[in-house]
Amino acid sequence: MVVEIGRRVCDGHVFKWLLAAGVSWLAHHREHVNNMNVFPVPDGDTGTNMLVTIQKAYAQIATMDEGHIGLVSEAVARGGLMGARGNSGTILSMLLRGFANGLKRREVMDGASFALALQSAVDYAYTTVSTVMEPVEGTILTVARETAAAVGIRARTENDLQVLLSVAAAAANRALERTPELLPRLKEAGVVDSGGLGLVYLLEGMLRLLNGDQVDYEPAGASGSVAAAPARSDWKDAIQPDDEDGYGYDVQFLMLGQQLNVDEIRRAISAMGWSPLIDGDATLVKVHIHVHNPGEPLSYAATLPGVQLDDVVVENMQAQYLQYVQQREQREVPAPLRQVDGVAVIAVARGAGIERIFTEYGAARIVPGGQTMNPGTEDFLAAIQSLDTDEIIILPNNGNIILAAQEAAKLATGRQVRVVHNRTIPQGIAALLPYADLRERGGTLDEMFQAMTDSLGSIVSGEITTATRSVTVDGISVQAGDLIGLLNGRLAVAASTMADILRGLLHKCHAEDHELATLYYGEGVTEAQARALVDEVAAEFEHLQFDVIAGEQPLYPYIISIE
Amino acid sequence: MTTTKKKIRIMTDSVADIPAALLQKWNIGIIPTYVNFEGGSYADDGVELSRDYFYQRLPEMKEFPTTAAPSHALAEDLLHKGIEGYDHVISIHVASKLSVTANNVRLGAQSLKDRVTVIDSGLVTMGIGMQVLAAAEVAAATGSVEAVVQAVEKVRRHQKLWAIIANLEYLRRSGRVSVIRAFAGSLLQIKPILDVHDGEVEVAQRVRTMGKAVAKLKELTEEQAPLERLVILHINNEDGARELQASLGSVVPPDTITITVGPTLGTHIGPGSLGVITLRKAWRS
Repeated sequence: MVVEIGRRVCDGHVFKWLLAAGVSWLAHHREHVNNMNVFPVPDGDTGTNMLVTIQKAYAQIATMDEGHIGLVSEAVARGGLMGARGNSGTILSMLLRGFANGLKRREVMDGASFALALQSAVDYAYTTVSTVMEPVEGTILTVARETAAAVGIRARTENDLQVLLSVAAAAANRALERTPELLPRLKEAGVVDSGGLGLVYLLEGMLRLLNGDQVDYEPAGASGSVAAAPARSDWKDAIQPDDEDGYGYDVQFLMLGQQLNVDEIRRAISAMGWSPLIDGDATLVKVHIHVHNPGEPLSYAATLPGVQLDDVVVENMQAQYLQYVQQREQREVPAPLRQVDGVAVIAVARGAGIERIFTEYGAARIVPGGQTMNPGTEDFLAAIQSLDTDEIIILPNNGNIILAAQEAAKLATGRQVRVVHNRTIPQGIAALLPYADLRERGGTLDEMFQAMTDSLGSIVSGEITTATRSVTVDGISVQAGDLIGLLNGRLAVAASTMADILRGLLHKCHAEDHELATLYYGEGVTEAQARALVDEVAAEFEHLQFDVIAGEQPLYPYIISIE
Repeated sequence: MTTTKKKIRIMTDSVADIPAALLQKWNIGIIPTYVNFEGGSYADDGVELSRDYFYQRLPEMKEFPTTAAPSHALAEDLLHKGIEGYDHVISIHVASKLSVTANNVRLGAQSLKDRVTVIDSGLVTMGIGMQVLAAAEVAAATGSVEAVVQAVEKVRRHQKLWAIIANLEYLRRSGRVSVIRAFAGSLLQIKPILDVHDGEVEVAQRVRTMGKAVAKLKELTEEQAPLERLVILHINNEDGARELQASLGSVVPPDTITITVGPTLGTHIGPGSLGVITLRKAWRS
């Protein structure tokens, strides 16, 4: 019945089912989207961000019994705006907003109004993104635009929604495939744009419902138990494992041999779990897969004749997940609220040491998050609303968080909220120093924002982490599991020892012309290790002073500021 | 309206760091403060204690040196000697919020009744010195206590003193300045620029490297131009002082001097530090 009605016109009820199908299909492919990172760093989580955003949007209508599509899409847009996180999630929320604008006062949607609503979505997203940054082609924006264009042309002669949706899905796929041509970075890394891919899954999910294909999953929130008003702890739903056995294990290893059959290995191992990434040649195959039983792929590979295993890494993702939930729950026990006069700062950070520094220099609120687990618009809104002041500056400390913060700034009516466009933790700390000075002197919001923004160029930010996959970016080839060093967010060095990475980073940014390198050592690194590392490297940089500080941040053994 | 032109002697304490030639030129009397270290107590008058020696030893000293104001009895004695041959003494001292020197001098001046005027400079080192030199000039020209007091007040309104603390350890150990509590548990290495005025010590800027701190100091100094006087302060950082002066170019007025801060104050600031004191030309208008 849904399908029959859906072919001609789509009302609020059908739209709800379509959206539910889109959410399910995206949820099913979240890991795939997450794996589309350009940089092989534990970063981004585009799939998770988009899924959380669209789930928030869906939660607004999950319990709604409304036939008026204008009202339903309006509720979806509101929910999306609140739930937006990450750049792609935030742009998705803009698309939902624009889509709702296009359907305003319409009771039902036909082919023509679908095309108009899509165009309205694209126009709104481009306009809104332009207010904060130059829209980048080769991203979700491009995919949305070309989709709307294709549907617009077809809708002149076609009014069947199922046909138009299939046109949309096909156009989105074509646009997605071209994203590497538009964004060389994607091409070099051998991926397509992750946000665009997320959009494709949303559209495909809807189409599958109309086609009568299986859409596996119940979207979170569809049970009706989710209240219309989003609760703060919804992040837990968002990151709950889809599988009742939990997240399982992340298994990575290299197979060395003489006559390896990549296709056969891929078929065999892919069947053992999910999120497989298996590639190589007759002598070397790299295996990445998520499984419940890590023994299965390992024993399979090890028992193939003439095969040696190397670089075996098994990570318990369920344990990581549980640890994260526990840490975040502890953090969300509301800290004693600090009274703030004048301008308050909200900073995004993870790691007890890093958080202490932000607090020491006057950040009134810490929004937990960062490299992974990008906080969403509503996390910022909650932090804003918890503050007893009208003037607020947000330090996102990560490029993928700026848009969500910007959206929150717009939504915080009655308050003046500025977002510093900073991309790294060291930049955030550098920006806090002039803030602390100006706060003592009763500086204005404008003065503080300007001084904080001006400070960003005064330092170089370095990060050391482990490559999550093998890739060549910016002319540097890395293997999954290699240590890599980034300068100002760009891959700069790969090496096998920490000392070589640090040395490489310092040479690359001409540290000998600077005065001070501050090393924030992360979780799992001891102060003695950090100091030993400095001792090993310091001799080469005669004029450089080193400051070693416990950052306790996850995933990044070292975050470095060079000034 | 002064009826007769008085013979006025200007006095100060050794924290003022006034170079010997200028002390001689204006016949300025000094009441010394004291530095106690390694079992001895030394008058901080540039004679009893070699500054170079003291600062070379400072980082190595196990026991942190302490500083002491002159007793009121000593002040009384020196005031009585100082006023011989003069009608009046005007004694200008280190900020009373930072030292009890001015208070002890006030106590010591009681026996001389209204022949002594004690002024709290609100400053330290050549910040006091600039007020003293202006006072001496005006005293010689006018012979009016009132005119001198007014001149010192005007100088004070046109002065600035900033200092970069190269290593917070010394201020921390001295426990003298409350502003340092702001850095008490500091996780980051910071080189703050302090702003001293009216006996208050405030943090003007928090920066993390000497390079940035010096650039900021230069900027702050330039904002004060045109200058009548400029004093560059340092502790065992002559190169830094020279570079700073060179970088200031045309902002630097004639007769600019570079001084090593005396041990009384320097004990709390520590080697490597760098500062400026400015007096705007506008003070005469």
